[in-house]
Amino acid sequence: MKKQFETKKIAVAVALCLGASLVSAQPGPIKIGVVTPLSGTYTPIGEQVKMGLDLAAREINAAGGINGRKINLIYEDEEANPAVATQKAEKLFQVEKVDFLTGTVNSGSTLAVGQVAERNNKLIATSVSFADSITGDKCSPNVFRVNARAGMQSAALAAWVDKEIPKSNIFFIGPDYEMGRSTVSAFKRASTEKGAKDVGEVFAPLDNKDYSPYFGQVRAAKPNVIYTSVAGNDTVRLFSQMEEYGLNKGVTLVGASGTVTSQNMGAIGKSANGFVTGVGYSPKLDNPANKKFVADFQKAYNKLPDLYGADSYGLLYFYKAAVEKAKSTETDKVRTAMDDLSWQTPQGTKKMRAGDHQAMQDMFAVRVENGEFNIVGRVPSDQAIGPDVCTRF
Amino acid sequence: MLESLQFIYAPQIVNGLSIGVAVVLMALGLTIIFGLLDVINMSHGEFYAAGAFISVSLMAMGVSFWFCLLLVPMILVPIGFAMERLLIQKVFHYKDRHILTLLLTFGVAMVLEDAYKIIWGANPIKPSAPISGASELLGVMFPNYRLFLMGFGALLIFSVWALIYKTQLGAIVRASAFDKDMSSSLGIPVMRVYALTFALGVALAGLAGVLLAPIYSVFPTMGRDFILMAFSVVIVGGLGSIKGAVIAGILLTQLQSISSLYISPVWSDPLVFTVMVLVLMFKPSGLYGGMKNA
Repeated sequence: MKKQFETKKIAVAVALCLGASLVSAQPGPIKIGVVTPLSGTYTPIGEQVKMGLDLAAREINAAGGINGRKINLIYEDEEANPAVATQKAEKLFQVEKVDFLTGTVNSGSTLAVGQVAERNNKLIATSVSFADSITGDKCSPNVFRVNARAGMQSAALAAWVDKEIPKSNIFFIGPDYEMGRSTVSAFKRASTEKGAKDVGEVFAPLDNKDYSPYFGQVRAAKPNVIYTSVAGNDTVRLFSQMEEYGLNKGVTLVGASGTVTSQNMGAIGKSANGFVTGVGYSPKLDNPANKKFVADFQKAYNKLPDLYGADSYGLLYFYKAAVEKAKSTETDKVRTAMDDLSWQTPQGTKKMRAGDHQAMQDMFAVRVENGEFNIVGRVPSDQAIGPDVCTRF
Repeated sequence: MLESLQFIYAPQIVNGLSIGVAVVLMALGLTIIFGLLDVINMSHGEFYAAGAFISVSLMAMGVSFWFCLLLVPMILVPIGFAMERLLIQKVFHYKDRHILTLLLTFGVAMVLEDAYKIIWGANPIKPSAPISGASELLGVMFPNYRLFLMGFGALLIFSVWALIYKTQLGAIVRASAFDKDMSSSLGIPVMRVYALTFALGVALAGLAGVLLAPIYSVFPTMGRDFILMAFSVVIVGGLGSIKGAVIAGILLTQLQSISSLYISPVWSDPLVFTVMVLVLMFKPSGLYGGMKNA
């Protein structure tokens, strides 16, 4: 009798152990790596990325997670440096075994990390990088972009410039790397097609301290529109130095959507007034989803979201929708689910184009007026997105 | 031709000069600290940032910019003094002190940079210039603040030069640098002179921070902005030489400024470093010898 009891006890113990191992075989939280600049000139952008992702993760986790699994975000500082970004991404894939990776800001970092993802057979998405090449000639089956690329921003901005200042003379100032070259060439193409004239260009190094040495070239070109795609702290210097030298007198300043953001607007001050950009998001967008998002964001961080915050927030819902559709976090299944996926964001419904992994969305022209981004124009998603030129998959 | 001279070259040269003054202000502290202590201060840029951050905070409390010019160096002197006494003198007597002090100050730089991020946040801050507007000279606009910077900077550089070469205090400093043992046997408190000179270098970096903040804005990594250029200037000018720093600073920034009219801006840094490499190859002591030889 006693022996029987012993056997029973052992059986129960074995069953418990088996059960425990079964439970531990049950997947834990979904790990998402975030490689984003937390230091350097793009810190303000990295901060918005973090705020957007954190907010979405909190909401999703509070509502029960994705397929019952909580989201766990693991941050690494990429310093807006592709060399650092690839190391950090490799570490997240190999050591932390993340299921998915996002956060890269510098377009060079996104391209480099995309290759790391291909080697590790994982998927990444950017919610910030503009360079057209990411979903164009350097597209990757493992890379998705949920934000608007340079070409889409240019379409909206070029339409506004053509309407307000027809046949304008445009001078271009870009940061000297992938994103700068890409945004300038995209806007140059979009605006010259509409009759504007290209009167010159200059590409300054990232983290440039003084732009005044290039003002000679700008003055000599006599533009009435200056387009720029510098971002972060660089914009603060460029705009205040232009103001210092009176270079912005009689000139309309336009540029990429990353140039003036809620993070650097305070430091730029009144020099930002009148700046017009083509962008995929404004806190002023009038729809219920955005109103809720802006209110929650302000409650959490006591500041307004900008496009990076909004697109990073929307990104987690994109991943959630894909994993729920795939019923798995496996790379191939999630990729198939992401193709042609439609999902809800503060900007309305976005759709992931399967051909090049570029999200489709409406674009806006917005003008900075006393610290606010007022919407002054709109281009529907199908007109803004442009052709699919990806041939790799 | 005359028009391009007036509207393109003249402003370009003046812009170059205003950056040149900024760079020389940075290089001045570096070269003094090296000339006297043989210490390569890698945290110099972070003390420049310290000056900018402290001035921004003081101005937020209502202190005027002009008073900051006086107050910030006074705040930084004891900090620099303490750093020399508590950190640098600990490794100063080792044989491989060049490497040790370099690593030590590099570590301090990294700690300071993160401290700024924690205290003031990562977003840029832009103090408004205390002198606004622009003056028209020969039909070209020059920002008044930059004109002030050039004048004030030149005065400052001259004062530091006069302090070291024309006063008794400067003679003591130079004597301590030239022969430590002899000076201390003559009753000069050499260790205190070293600490004070280091503090003077740090205060100069901080003062540059106050002066340049309205032009370049304030953020935690701003210390990296001028540091490479300042080191090149110190090397080209001759380690420890004030005259060398001034001449090299102005030469190199003019080279950058004028060349950027013709070549892509990314090439102007390599151009400066090429000059530095050439100087190192053919005249390693720089254009002018060190303070010790003066």
